Amino acid sequence: MECNGCEFRPELYYDAEFQIWVRIEERGELAVGMTDISQSIAGKILHVRVRRPGTLRPAGKPVATVESGKWAGPVPNLFDCTIAAANREVLEDPSLLNRQPYESWIARVQPAQPLEQALSVLLTGDAAWAGYQARCRRDGIACKRLPA
Amino acid sequence: MTDDRHYLDHEEKSVVIVMTSGPSQRHRCATPFYMAAIMASMDADVKLFFTMEGVKLCQKGVPEQLTALDGGKTIIEFMRDAKAAGVKFYMCRPAMPGYEMEVDDVIAEVDELSSGGELADLILSSDKVLFF
Repeated sequence: MECNGCEFRPELYYDAEFQIWVRIEERGELAVGMTDISQSIAGKILHVRVRRPGTLRPAGKPVATVESGKWAGPVPNLFDCTIAAANREVLEDPSLLNRQPYESWIARVQPAQPLEQALSVLLTGDAAWAGYQARCRRDGIACKRLPA
Repeated sequence: MTDDRHYLDHEEKSVVIVMTSGPSQRHRCATPFYMAAIMASMDADVKLFFTMEGVKLCQKGVPEQLTALDGGKTIIEFMRDAKAAGVKFYMCRPAMPGYEMEVDDVIAEVDELSSGGELADLILSSDKVLFF
């Protein structure tokens, strides 16, 4: 599924602005990454820095920062959590986020509350797809993915 | 072993950026917003105060047309990136008459019109102060 060339994966969970995707992992952890929309807005990503594993992150406090030559910003966090791990491959080669945004998770987090409660603040499935298309069209976002 | 520079350990800090540069020095008008966005993403409470020629960046029609480099992103896009990261914008009201600006001329991204005294309060109460 795609809109303006930006890939969408219905099985993932998203924030309301579709900056991040979230995927359920083992041991109740959640993987967090950038959407195709986000990497297209950012352009070629040069640096990723993640909060050190073990750090508590309240809702609203980013889990990581991302920098390209023309854009800098947070990887948002919508629920209380603890940073479980950072993806070393992405830290060493941030352009993976431009080439394989849905394979390249940035951080894994352990929610402070039950998984269902953490995921309840995110969008998924049809509702997420509708919002994803609306964001692409509203802001005229076209996919600018780097070759894999 | 992953390099330690990849990890963030900062405690919360407050930062005020005083933006005095304007369209006459357009090459100085993008980086302050970029840096503000990074610091806000690193848990800093970042306030950006426009004064002197910097207030021109808050005039409708100016940041939409201005770029720091030929063919680059517009300044309003850099400003919006900073806002999205959590940066708050303050504009010096006493500087407005000198640049023939009225309240209706101010872009919606500005959070507050402030006095010189409020800038002084920000400077005296912040952990870090940067001037551009």
